[in-house]
Amino acid sequence: MSTSALTQKQPFKLPFSRAFLIWMGFLGVLLVIGLYSAITVFIKGLYITNMSDSVPWGLWITVDLSSIALGSGAFTLSAVVYIFGIKRLQPVIRLAVLVGFAGYTSAMLTLLMDIGRPDRFWHPWVFWNVHSVLWEVTMCITIYLMILLTEFAPVIVEAKFFDKWPKIRRLGHFLHKLTPFLAVLGLLISLLHQSSLGATYGVIKSRPIWFKPSMPIMFVLSAIATGPAVTVAVAYVVEWIIGKRTVPHDVLRIITRFSGVGLLAYGYIKFWDLAAVTYYGRTPGVSSAFALLQEQTPYPFSFWVGEVILGILLPAILFLVPRFSKNPAAAVLGALSAMVGIILHRWNVTVGGLFVPLSYSPGTAYSLPIGRYFPAPIEWGVVILVIGYALTVITLAVRFLPLFEKQEH
Amino acid sequence: MTTQKKKVKKKVVVELTRSDVLKVAAAAVGSIIAAPLLTTGPLSPFGQLKQEQLEGDEQIGHGAVTGDYHWGMVISLDQCIGCEYCMRACCATNDVRADEPWNIVVPEKTSGGATFFLSRPCLHCQNAPCVEVCPVKATYHREDGLVVMDYDRCIGCRYCQVACPYDARQFNWEERNDENPYVPTWGDPEVERRPRGVVEKCTFCIHRIDAGLEKGLVPGVDREATPACVNICPVGARTFGNLKDPNSKVSQLIASNPTLRLRDELGTETSVYYIPPKEGI
Repeated sequence: MSTSALTQKQPFKLPFSRAFLIWMGFLGVLLVIGLYSAITVFIKGLYITNMSDSVPWGLWITVDLSSIALGSGAFTLSAVVYIFGIKRLQPVIRLAVLVGFAGYTSAMLTLLMDIGRPDRFWHPWVFWNVHSVLWEVTMCITIYLMILLTEFAPVIVEAKFFDKWPKIRRLGHFLHKLTPFLAVLGLLISLLHQSSLGATYGVIKSRPIWFKPSMPIMFVLSAIATGPAVTVAVAYVVEWIIGKRTVPHDVLRIITRFSGVGLLAYGYIKFWDLAAVTYYGRTPGVSSAFALLQEQTPYPFSFWVGEVILGILLPAILFLVPRFSKNPAAAVLGALSAMVGIILHRWNVTVGGLFVPLSYSPGTAYSLPIGRYFPAPIEWGVVILVIGYALTVITLAVRFLPLFEKQEH
Repeated sequence: MTTQKKKVKKKVVVELTRSDVLKVAAAAVGSIIAAPLLTTGPLSPFGQLKQEQLEGDEQIGHGAVTGDYHWGMVISLDQCIGCEYCMRACCATNDVRADEPWNIVVPEKTSGGATFFLSRPCLHCQNAPCVEVCPVKATYHREDGLVVMDYDRCIGCRYCQVACPYDARQFNWEERNDENPYVPTWGDPEVERRPRGVVEKCTFCIHRIDAGLEKGLVPGVDREATPACVNICPVGARTFGNLKDPNSKVSQLIASNPTLRLRDELGTETSVYYIPPKEGI
């Protein structure tokens, strides 16, 4: 079969060109490095990571939280289209669901690496503890992943492969009729777990800088603001690579502006959170914890430059000021910048919170050592696996699935 | 120039209508209010469950206890000499890693500058943060108030470790094949080593309590049914027994001495009471 004939017939697919093969080769290298790291961790155990009893959560939890947040474009945009009836945004839904699927499966992959007994990953479904935020998160994420799969099934069955299986194709199209219902369910479940990922930290009363009711709100708001922008960025980048329009630019511009407004809302809550926690309502525990972080870690820099400037101000300007917002490059740059901000926020919450030692002694001399942590090479290796996996999923879907054909139902 | 004109035109075409903006704004505000209410607020179904649980636990100080026993410990900071015997006996009896003991002993100072020694087993909280957060109920309350671990159920997520205010939990980062330096001098292992990938902690020597009760012994009185750390203490700084029995040694010590519990302000209701040094804390 000649490749050039194939590309002419199907204009929205990547050509099977040399560039594509080089790209797949690069992804292959990422996956090999990643699989090597993952298998090493499975065989030797978690002691080869730099996590310890004083910092039991680290890079992997950060990646896990970040990829769930970055995949939030799926539920946000599905809700906008199917619940609030803004049908103009319909052309972006398939891509948003794909990015969401990549994000959520990446998170589950990371979690599987992180738990001490991956062979017991199914326990939360069988042994319920409804008082545990983490149980609720696990249930929500797995249910939501099934919703994403059902939403995506109609796209998968349109792949050429299913020409031979008309029955499966018909089933897939039937599932498509459920989409509005799935969007409602998806919205509820996503709001729940995107918030309770923050509550995972917010309910821990022994850790001064975690224990606050604003945690769930900051997590869900930052996810709603950043996720859709990531979807937009993927659309533009895919367009640059394959040289064809993916999603109409006017649609992408609406979403970019929505993200910009979302970031401002997040910034507003963050400002008051900061004011309440560190100024108006500060407690000795919180003050000394922040003083410690300020003295011994780059926390202030990563907070102000990473979370506030890169994560909120710069992308908000790029998304909202008309001069920039018309430019695809600015949208991509803004999305990348917001991504860095959200990842640093999750890192600062997790590792910053664990850096501050617990204090439980009634005396004055004894204190636990400060929780020091920087990820080991093997931990980065597993992150390379997750990134390689997510990029492979998106690449293959763009190449083989009809993501960008107009769907009028 | 022409492309720019086009873009401007397009922008006008896709302008959101006011009702679209209002709808999205209303939905966003509604969701932001709904999400925390659903997860933590008084209207949340989970909140109600929690309320029911709290109402069931009205007996003060015996929060999770439903049976006749509530095992507790009294540690006299005034008597403790910091010899670390309790730590060693615990490591030997429960075959704990010597570099990560369940039961720690550290030198401390009062606000007046006097030295004392703080030792800390698991405090067996009646409102235990670790029990609340475990996603699979691998750590739970027994009816005698003990916080125990099901090593066959634990998935190793380490949320309990993050949540424990007392740093009382250890994770098995690797398969154990270390030699225990405290065996046999300080005792012999009475329980199995825990597997890789689960969290472990002090059990108040649960195996001794259970076996002792079956034989009709009294934990805290008969040595065979009493935690190793209590038996070995050369100065009798540790006392063990049933907090629900007003005649037990622990209850009498609590009744006749000033006591404190670690981080009581968190409402954890620990089962371990400390008698402060005579000069005060």
